[in-house]
Amino acid sequence: MTADLVQLLAGGILLGGIYGLAAFGLSVSFGVLNVLNLAHGEFLMLGSLLSYCAFVQFGMNPFVSAVLVIPVFTTMGLLFFLVLIRPLGEKPHHELLVASILVTLGASLAIEDLTAFFWERPVTGIDYSLAPFEVGGVVISSLRLLILLFICVLAAGLQVYLRRTFMGRAIRAITQCREGAKVVGIPISGVSALTFGLGVALAASAGVFYVTLFTATPTMGIPLTVKYLCVVVLGGLGSLVGSVLGGLILGLAEALTAYYAGAEWSPCIAFVLLLTILIIRPQGLFGTET
Amino acid sequence: MQSKHEWVMVLSLALIAFLPVCPAAAAAPDAIVVGATVSQSGHFSSEVGPFKRLMDAWAEVVNKDGGIFLKEYNKKLPVKFVVYDDKSDEATAKKYYERLATVDKVNVLLGPYSSPLTFAASTAGENHKIPFIAICANSPKIYERGFKWLVGVIDLGPRYTYRYWEMIKAEGKAKSVSFVVEDTLHPQGVFKGSSKLAEEAGLKVLSSEIMPADARDFTPVLTKLKNFDPDIVYVSSNIPFGINFMKQAREMKLNPREIHCIHHSGVFRDPLGESAENVVGQSYWVQGMKLGDPKLIIELLEKSKVSEPMYPWAPAYVAAFQVLQAALEKAGTLNNDALMAALKGLEIETVLGKEKFHETGYGSINTYPSQIQEGKYVVIWPAEVATGKRVYPRPTWK
Repeated sequence: MTADLVQLLAGGILLGGIYGLAAFGLSVSFGVLNVLNLAHGEFLMLGSLLSYCAFVQFGMNPFVSAVLVIPVFTTMGLLFFLVLIRPLGEKPHHELLVASILVTLGASLAIEDLTAFFWERPVTGIDYSLAPFEVGGVVISSLRLLILLFICVLAAGLQVYLRRTFMGRAIRAITQCREGAKVVGIPISGVSALTFGLGVALAASAGVFYVTLFTATPTMGIPLTVKYLCVVVLGGLGSLVGSVLGGLILGLAEALTAYYAGAEWSPCIAFVLLLTILIIRPQGLFGTET
Repeated sequence: MQSKHEWVMVLSLALIAFLPVCPAAAAAPDAIVVGATVSQSGHFSSEVGPFKRLMDAWAEVVNKDGGIFLKEYNKKLPVKFVVYDDKSDEATAKKYYERLATVDKVNVLLGPYSSPLTFAASTAGENHKIPFIAICANSPKIYERGFKWLVGVIDLGPRYTYRYWEMIKAEGKAKSVSFVVEDTLHPQGVFKGSSKLAEEAGLKVLSSEIMPADARDFTPVLTKLKNFDPDIVYVSSNIPFGINFMKQAREMKLNPREIHCIHHSGVFRDPLGESAENVVGQSYWVQGMKLGDPKLIIELLEKSKVSEPMYPWAPAYVAAFQVLQAALEKAGTLNNDALMAALKGLEIETVLGKEKFHETGYGSINTYPSQIQEGKYVVIWPAEVATGKRVYPRPTWK
């Protein structure tokens, strides 16, 4: 029984790591830009498909792809921001939010349909696995563990970037007070574009791991965005630590619910957690009150 | 001279007078218009995405000789398809079938892929009294509504793997089974039938786990399965669910004596690589099977560039084309009532064996158990159609 519980905890934590990485990009673009990017899941999907191509065409290891997609998708995110988000301009806070939802939802549907039209293989998966190892009757997937380690390294790197570099500090300053950041001379537009690009790159990087573990399809984006939105709200908007811990909590909650209450109850636990957190602590576990 | 004129007049009047009573061919339409939707996008595109090409290939083959002969018009009429993308969505499929019936005014409807879409779309046939031939749809719910304008090519879902359970009973090696079921119409239907058939085959059902279609983490279920240690793990699901299950089953070293995934096509096999080895599933047709005349399947697969291991439903579509052609030839007309009557009374040998419709509309074509061996599909039961031998127990994952 104890071994089963440890097995479930290990599985939940490994799954939660993927949730955390994917959710962080969404969190950072919302926290800094007040833009709710509903096309987030589509960038994750595109990262998955690109990684699949790299694996099949060049035999590229998914861990290498996870690094290489970052500059590619940062550029894509920058372009997306400049073409679709920037024209929304200096709209009031709530209008910008609504406009961003509409624009990114439209973009999301367009990306999904175009991909489905051109992508010959509707279900995509990578035949990549590593031998698991066993500790005291608990089987640990080496691949999932490596992915979790990679996510931890990436999260630590981002934390250093946000705390030690000018751009990182600028991002944090905008998150804390947009007007104040403008007053002290932070180039809001440039930092916003880069932050959006970073969020998109993190989604794509999560997509690389996603297709390594699961199947990817051109239509998977929107349901994933909804799930990651739950993680973001759970952890607290704009909080790196909150996103990762929110992901881990959700992963664990899903695993334990599926085992003890039945697998059919597992998907709804995300929304139960979300409602509970919204009632008890509306700013999320690690969010700050505004 | 005058008498000559009189004779001509009399003859002309006689011709005019007798013209309406002389038997003659009715005005023939330009073509036999067949309406259908194909899931070219959405989650079912993994199963039937390129099947419009298959339809076009069949039309090309039939039209090469002028089309299908219809006695009422005393001529061959070419086949013309009108096809829309239903996006694997029930509401979209329903909308397009209504359009096919009312705007495109098709003569016959071929069903979309899957039971949920067919359930929704088949109302168009019933509402507008147009023969509707369901293809890959086997949920009993479809045929329990008393529809008069509906027939289905394949047998009911609960019997989808009955030949597999016959094999299990006959060989007597496996003693227990656990079910993992995707919570959608077709996998649920197959599971309900299979759990009964498994018990009838003398197996002990150790557990049944129903999971949502978008399940990604199987750790809880796999942990339970490892404790139960069944001889057979039977996964009743669509392909993406099956792939995700198998990937994690290997990661967690789940080692039953046999894993059965009801859908194990090339789309399933390729992303799994070695993990798909020795998985048993179901096939309508595999090259080399001693079943029906394979010429038409091979020709259409080549023409349409559809690969059978990647799209194992293709042979069922070919059987549907044969049913349609036979019914049209038997009816000899495009009259809806006559065509439907011809369909209901049809009894033909298709590329997948004998086809005959039950009173409620479902057909008699069913699948055969097949196993992935060195990346190839081997039909393992019954002996008269088998192309190889079953590997049991499967080698364990290290």
